[in-house]
Amino acid sequence: MDAPSIKVCFVTTGATAPFTNLIESVLSPTSLEALKQGGYTHLLVQYGSAKYVMDKHVELASKWMKKEFGKEVLVVDGFDFNQDGLKEQFMLVQQSRGLVISHAGSGSILEALRFQIPLIVVPNTQLLDNHQEDLAIAMERSQYLLRGDIMNLAPAIQNSATFRNKMAQFPPVTSGKQRETKSFAAIMDETMGFLD
Amino acid sequence: MAPPLSALYTWSFVLTLLIMLVLAATLRVLAILPSPKFRRKPFGRRPIASRVMIVLGSGGHTHEMFYLLRDLDTRKYTHRTYVVSSGDAFSAQRAAEFEKALEVREKERAKDKANADADADVDMEDVDGREDPGKEDYKKRISERRNGNQRRACTGPDHYNITTLPRARRIHQSLLTTPFTSLLTLVSTFRPLLSSTPLLPNAPPSTPYEAAAQDLPDMIITNGPATAVIVILASLVLKFFDIRGAMSKDKCKTVYVESFARVSRLSLSGKLLVRFVDRFVVQWGELEGKGGRAEFWGVLV
Repeated sequence: MDAPSIKVCFVTTGATAPFTNLIESVLSPTSLEALKQGGYTHLLVQYGSAKYVMDKHVELASKWMKKEFGKEVLVVDGFDFNQDGLKEQFMLVQQSRGLVISHAGSGSILEALRFQIPLIVVPNTQLLDNHQEDLAIAMERSQYLLRGDIMNLAPAIQNSATFRNKMAQFPPVTSGKQRETKSFAAIMDETMGFLD
Repeated sequence: MAPPLSALYTWSFVLTLLIMLVLAATLRVLAILPSPKFRRKPFGRRPIASRVMIVLGSGGHTHEMFYLLRDLDTRKYTHRTYVVSSGDAFSAQRAAEFEKALEVREKERAKDKANADADADVDMEDVDGREDPGKEDYKKRISERRNGNQRRACTGPDHYNITTLPRARRIHQSLLTTPFTSLLTLVSTFRPLLSSTPLLPNAPPSTPYEAAAQDLPDMIITNGPATAVIVILASLVLKFFDIRGAMSKDKCKTVYVESFARVSRLSLSGKLLVRFVDRFVVQWGELEGKGGRAEFWGVLV
């Protein structure tokens, strides 16, 4: 028998403006239910400056789980942010065949995708200049990630199980596929007139 | 007797002079601006050394830049100059880390190659244990072929520098004073453009690598921070006056890569620069052809 295996869902809300709605949404009963169904054992949240919101909702979530299942079926933990990036957390998710739920900042998207792990991106609809939403839609269309709705994350969490098998490789391989693609190194060489 | 020089000080003369200047300047600007479509140079023998300037910006831009540069070949781009804005310690640190990683990568590659060579030598002795006059020759030819075609990897502190420019606009700075601070940035851009800091002041370059490092950059790469607009403008000024052969020697080729986060609309820097850079590259199909010249080759980061 294997040791009791763990499955981690990691949530990142960004380092700058706190995205409190995402913390609230991921700790809501519907999300917790979906995570439990998906076989998740741990929920790790990077909450930035929103410690107060985090603590409040962790308590609510814990109460709800005890009432519903008689015990805490998910271990919920969190940290504010990590200066050295989130590599460790992404590797943990990769090893446990888990899931990442992220704000739609291009930095965390680019970092998470390199670990070839299912990624749900949740655009912050409260932001004014909303090119985050455009990016999330375009990335979903190319099958790099799933887009989550802040009002209800459960469908995306459910879809992530099958999405794991069909997600596109990132960064894309620079050949074939519909039209000509090039790497940036090739563009540099071409600009300079370097052949080899 | 010729009329005194002061006879020329008339309004019509000043006006004519002005018109002629404006006309000449316009023609010059038209001449230095890149053609609408990038025409690639016929491939030729590449020089031993070259210098590339990389303009970094705040967090997001810097992140993306190092994803773009992940396969940078230090054999081709032998000197790198990183431009950061004052107060942006993060970007400077990332640049140093990136260079460190390049160095480690090259060391490992050299180690692998040395092991492979040692194996090859053993093989040769296995094939022919006897003394053979042709063997040494053969070995020499092999190693020449291996090393001769291979240019040197150029990593380490001698092959890059990080230069700091004053910020064009600080956060919350009044729009009224922005033109002045931008001008200051523009002026301080020329020095790092003209040359990276020489290793020994007043010493002429002794290798082609040093010569390239102390000349104008062959290429300027940027992905859209505000500083980029000013650096590109400075490079155009150099081309306008053909300073140190900026125009005639085909230096300072500019490549702009729009951020991966821009899917359907160009950023402000992008809109400003689309006509003024040699190559304007976008990362989403929807933006292809923007400004009449945006190129799309897939996601690059």
